[in-house]
Amino acid sequence: MQRFAAAAHDPLGYAKAWKERTGRKVIGSFPMNFPGELAHAADTLPMILQESEDPITLGHGLLFPFYCGYTRSMVDQAVRGDFGVLDAIMFGDHCVQLLGAADAIRMQLPDTRVIFFQLISSMCDPWTQGRSEESFSKLKAELEDFTGAPVADAALHASIRLFNRNRGLIRRLYQMRKTGAAPLGSVEMQHVVKSSMVMDKAEHTQLLEALIEQVENAPAAAARTVRLHLSGHFCQAPKPEVLTMIEECGVTVVGDDLYHGFRYISTDVPEEGDPIQGLARWYLDRNTGVPCPTRVQNNVDWDAYLLNAIREERAQGMIVLMAKFCEPHMYYYPEVKEAFEKAGVPHLLIETEHESMALESLKTRVETFVEVVKHRQAA
Amino acid sequence: MKQHVMGVDFGSTTAKTVILNLAGNIVAHSVAHMGAVSGNGVKHSMKEALDLAGLAQSDIGRTVSTGYGRRMLDEADRNYTEITCHARGAVAMVPDARLVIDIGGQDSKVISVDSNGLVAQFAMNDRCAAGTGKFLEVLARAMEIELEEMGAVALQAAQKLKISSMCATFAETEVISLLAEGHSKPDVLGAVHKAIATRTLGLVGRVGKKGPVVMTGGVARNPAAVHYIQEELQMPLVLPQSPQIAGALGAALIGLDDYRAENRHLLISDQEDMAHEEQMAADKACIPGCRGVPEFAVDPREKQPVAGKAKAHASTESHA
Repeated sequence: MQRFAAAAHDPLGYAKAWKERTGRKVIGSFPMNFPGELAHAADTLPMILQESEDPITLGHGLLFPFYCGYTRSMVDQAVRGDFGVLDAIMFGDHCVQLLGAADAIRMQLPDTRVIFFQLISSMCDPWTQGRSEESFSKLKAELEDFTGAPVADAALHASIRLFNRNRGLIRRLYQMRKTGAAPLGSVEMQHVVKSSMVMDKAEHTQLLEALIEQVENAPAAAARTVRLHLSGHFCQAPKPEVLTMIEECGVTVVGDDLYHGFRYISTDVPEEGDPIQGLARWYLDRNTGVPCPTRVQNNVDWDAYLLNAIREERAQGMIVLMAKFCEPHMYYYPEVKEAFEKAGVPHLLIETEHESMALESLKTRVETFVEVVKHRQAA
Repeated sequence: MKQHVMGVDFGSTTAKTVILNLAGNIVAHSVAHMGAVSGNGVKHSMKEALDLAGLAQSDIGRTVSTGYGRRMLDEADRNYTEITCHARGAVAMVPDARLVIDIGGQDSKVISVDSNGLVAQFAMNDRCAAGTGKFLEVLARAMEIELEEMGAVALQAAQKLKISSMCATFAETEVISLLAEGHSKPDVLGAVHKAIATRTLGLVGRVGKKGPVVMTGGVARNPAAVHYIQEELQMPLVLPQSPQIAGALGAALIGLDDYRAENRHLLISDQEDMAHEEQMAADKACIPGCRGVPEFAVDPREKQPVAGKAKAHASTESHA
């Protein structure tokens, strides 16, 4: 667990050490749908760029304060020269703020190779699969141009198998979590998932296998009083102190749809057939696995997914972690709120910030929520 | 079984204590200023309430704490958040209340409650002291006026001014500027209270406007705050007689629930008590050799128990 925590705590430090050790290239990427398998097959280290724990400093000069903490932190890290370890950065267009951050970083790092990866956001049109395949093919070609070597299908298949294995192992931890007796708390789960976004996948998988053996043989954790689901945070990891505070209020987190959680590992890539078609399929399946408010799919509802997850996990309520100024989340949240109120499932909205969070006040709100859930249960 | 429970609201500027008997009636209550060492204020409040009730801490069956210092009280058996306790206390004071506005020293909250006094939804200030008693305190100091006098002076406002910042420090600058421009103290104070009311309406909007609305907390004693909040809400506020003790009362009531539930086997109603005694008398009358004078027969000359008052059995009887 210490090695997971170390990589989660200092992802760029991990990348630097890996680069010095292997002499290979590092590609940093914006979150969401980056196919790490492709970059891995191209013999590079793919890493999802992480929000820094440091306050925003020089970045204030490039992005307005009403951009989300993730984008402001990305730009701040770029301005301060923290991204020197990256040989390329892959941007996505999941929201307007990510696009703004991409422009600001591009200006700051003119010598860093930029790869722009665009995916169709309408998920249930007849042409969605085809257009997605085009995007993944273009990305493959660009990566080949960047590394100067072709990516063979066999290598891509091997990377897909490795990534699937890694995801599958983390899903086993999530299965244990549903029982409410998993020996890993929310911060440790975050370390596992976050480090998976950063570390060499083979190394991470090896450590994960050892961890799972250890966890499966460990005594069950003492159950806390209230079982809750955590939802939200599509790009950045919730701050560990927030997760700790929630659990200190007597909560057992039995499931989540966080990006630094189940959302990241929910869906596997088909291992048979054309790998590009497989990646396109994975992209489509991810949105039915755990719906994303940045995608449009008429036959998929995030709120219905959440209610179903809560039933399966036997959760008694949900805490929504909304990153301040996250437009897709703000846009979709009223539907979730309405659906939960209609279903009579208690939920609490917590708006999180990059800095200046009043934890004591938040704790009072979470404690009150726990008291409400308990009273409803008793009534 | 002990006959009293206690609720303590360990607030930021005042400590409140309520002592209840097992029927849920207030036996004593106390409000004390915290002073520099908050623990002393709480001890003072608890001692005062105990003295008023003629009790010692050892006579208290259950103590529940609330407020920002709720976890620091050694005497507390349990603690609950001020939101849960204010909701419970406010509904006990005003049984048909559906919305509670509580403005205390360092936080303000709006709570929608169901008919059982349970929290349905809530919103509270989560960033600074905007719209709280502390906001008023800072501005009272800036305007060189006693906190207790602010409300009455603000009600004399003739001109509508605006304080745009809700940060106490920035608002202080605005207040000083307005005074320097020659505006009167009542007008400036009117603007200060209007700013609090607007902020409160924002919290109401997050929870949903509904009535009847009860206002608790120390600021409920400020007539200008009440006036401007009513104006913003366009609804009347119901003011309990002692709005400051709502949280402590709620804590005591929750403690009473727990204590009664735990000692249910020791508690019976008056009706059950009478029926039990009559039955025992009848049983005794049938014992061979009995002289026909049941030991436990009810003597009609005896004073009957007060309706609604819970009674404890003698311990030998309860274990029989």
